[in-house]
Amino acid sequence: MSQNQLELLQRSLKREKAARKAAEKILENKSAELYEANRKLEKSHTELEALLGKTDSQLQGVFENIVDAYVIMDLSGYILKMNDAAISLLGFIDSKEDYNLIEMVALNEKYRVADSFKELLKTGAITDFQVNIITKKNEEKLVHINASIIYDQGIPVAAQGIVRDITEAKKAEDLLIESENRLSTLIMNLESGILLVDENRKIVLSNNKFCEIFKINEAPNKIIGKGCTTVIDNNKNLFVNQEGFISRIDEINKYKKDIIGEELLMVDGKIIERDYIPVFEKDNYKGHLWTYKDVTLKRKYEKSIEAQRQKYRNIIANMHLGLVEVDSKGVILMVNQSFLEISGYLEEELVGKKSGELFPVKEGVEIFEKESNRCLNGESSSYEVKVKNKVGEIRYWLISGGPNYNLNGEIIGSIGVHWDITDIKNLELQKEKLLIQLGKSNDELEEYAHVVSHDLKSPLRSINALVTWLKEDNKGKLDRTSIQNIEHIENTLEKMDQLISDVLTYSSIGNESGEKTSVDLEDVITGLVQIMYKPEHIKIEINNKLPVVVGYKTKLQQLFQNLISNAIKFIDKDNGIVKVDVLEQSDYYKFSIKDNGIGIEPKHHNKIFKVFHALNKRKDSTGIGLSIVKKIVDLHGGEIWLESEVNVGTIFFFTIKK
Amino acid sequence: MMRVLNVLLIEDDMIEVMKLNRTISSLDLKHKIIETNNGEEALQFLQKKEELPDIILLDLNMPRINGIEFLSILKKDEVLRYIPTVILTTSNNQKDLLECYKIGIAGYVLKPLKYEDYVLKIEKVLEYWSINELKLV
Repeated sequence: MSQNQLELLQRSLKREKAARKAAEKILENKSAELYEANRKLEKSHTELEALLGKTDSQLQGVFENIVDAYVIMDLSGYILKMNDAAISLLGFIDSKEDYNLIEMVALNEKYRVADSFKELLKTGAITDFQVNIITKKNEEKLVHINASIIYDQGIPVAAQGIVRDITEAKKAEDLLIESENRLSTLIMNLESGILLVDENRKIVLSNNKFCEIFKINEAPNKIIGKGCTTVIDNNKNLFVNQEGFISRIDEINKYKKDIIGEELLMVDGKIIERDYIPVFEKDNYKGHLWTYKDVTLKRKYEKSIEAQRQKYRNIIANMHLGLVEVDSKGVILMVNQSFLEISGYLEEELVGKKSGELFPVKEGVEIFEKESNRCLNGESSSYEVKVKNKVGEIRYWLISGGPNYNLNGEIIGSIGVHWDITDIKNLELQKEKLLIQLGKSNDELEEYAHVVSHDLKSPLRSINALVTWLKEDNKGKLDRTSIQNIEHIENTLEKMDQLISDVLTYSSIGNESGEKTSVDLEDVITGLVQIMYKPEHIKIEINNKLPVVVGYKTKLQQLFQNLISNAIKFIDKDNGIVKVDVLEQSDYYKFSIKDNGIGIEPKHHNKIFKVFHALNKRKDSTGIGLSIVKKIVDLHGGEIWLESEVNVGTIFFFTIKK
Repeated sequence: MMRVLNVLLIEDDMIEVMKLNRTISSLDLKHKIIETNNGEEALQFLQKKEELPDIILLDLNMPRINGIEFLSILKKDEVLRYIPTVILTTSNNQKDLLECYKIGIAGYVLKPLKYEDYVLKIEKVLEYWSINELKLV
């Protein structure tokens, strides 16, 4: 190491020693200052504690005795102290909790709380602060806080506050407001006009309907506070009797008694019903309530109902049908004039009596009871009953009964409409009797026809036998003329015999004893055509398949037989054709029988169906054949007519119902 | 071998009786005809039960007891009910016909208008019954 270097190091060391000495001196001074400060601080702390202790003990009594929760916290929100009420309110277990109250504030309230904290620090107190908190036990509560800052020698050191749980109170208040709102909405929109007036006759409450009735062009809340006298006085001209309207109000106000349902007529024709109810509080008159109802419509309905009632009463009183109202036991409640006439009784002899016991004759009692019970079961019915009226005459009544209901829809009896049908009934009975008689005389007539025909035919047989014997016994002795005359006798006898048969047939049609049956005409007519007498030169054609109809088989057969044989009889052509045809229609069959015979002149068309109207004097024509045909067609609900041209032919048409 | 019949004719009309008799004789038949004028007379004869007929030819329309009444009485009799009874009448009343068959008859023959036809019918009826076996008296 060089000398220079050594000198350099020695000088540096010397400087360092001097610097350290200076620093130590400063440190020593500072330390002395610090000590002094510390001593001072210790002293003030002791003083503060003493002061605190003093205040503490002073407050202790208040603190423990207040019912409300009381909390002291430091300025960061940490709880310093709280009473039992606070412990329970905030959900702690004991007072030894080290807890920051800010944590209890509900999340959405944080800013508001922070603001109020600033306010508290700035002004030293807050009152009526409401905040939602979540307690230690996790309950949501709405609390009310009054708080103030605790100062130490002008310096804020802590905050104290009284906390009230107003959760329930708030809820109740909300409910109250809600129901008040509802009530006022209800009143506002009531169908009755409301006017609540205080003891000084100032308006407390009114509603829309009131303003409407009194034609007040203001909202109901705008007239609150006004004197009701002015309001009503201004509008008295709406009423028909203006002075009476006002004087009556004054009178009512004087006596202060409930008035219900007073009627007022308005100039525009409306009818208003007014109620007055005074309001008392512990016997002190506090005002009154007016209610105005527009009953115009109701009165109109009532009037029209009354008019209708009158109308029906008149109908009931004047109708020719007897009306009886009975209760559920069959006791007569009401009868009308016609019923008195029908029954022969006086009203007082009927009302209160059992209807079933008054009139029926033996066989009627059962019907009466059965039908009455049906009415009480809610059924309506019509029935015929044989009764005795007051003087003991047998009458027939047609009764139409129905249950009678009250407003609740319960059956309370029945109402019966009575019609005396004795005359009709007698006619009916007479008709029945006549029908039986008719049937009997028809039978007798037919019997008679048979007897007559027998009695007429027998001599014909005898004459025929005698004539035959004359011929036999005088064989070879008679001349040609005599033989011819005998032949004439024989032919006349034959015609006579046929005539009698036809008359019998004709008279017995329509007097059928059997029922109509299904008749297969195809079968019947083809069979008929086979056995009928047909000359060589005449052909019978059946064009269509004949249907099955409902009718009398033998009569239908006779119908076709008569028409076909008629057709055959009057064919004068070398090649005769008879065509049978059928055409189906919606509700009947149309048959036709066509020939190419001599034809019938139009002037005869209407006559030929009449009895004994033979157009041609022939030995085999009796003039009854077509009458029989017509009768058979009638019997089957059909019609018959013809088309014909002289020398060309004839078509007979007839219908038979399906 | 043709049986000779005892025929009881119940007929009120004289000419009808003559017709039957003449028919028998003209056909040269040996049958014996017992004539009665009405049902009452016939019953009197039958109730003697001496000479019972083989068959009865019965007219329906007769005074006093008519044919159907006679038939009813006949059918109630234990002995007489077995005698075949053929109705011979001009009446073709269906009611009568059904009633007769109901009570019990052996035939229903209509008297035709012409005597020739009558002879033919009677011939057949008698021929038919003369070949039938009948209850022995």
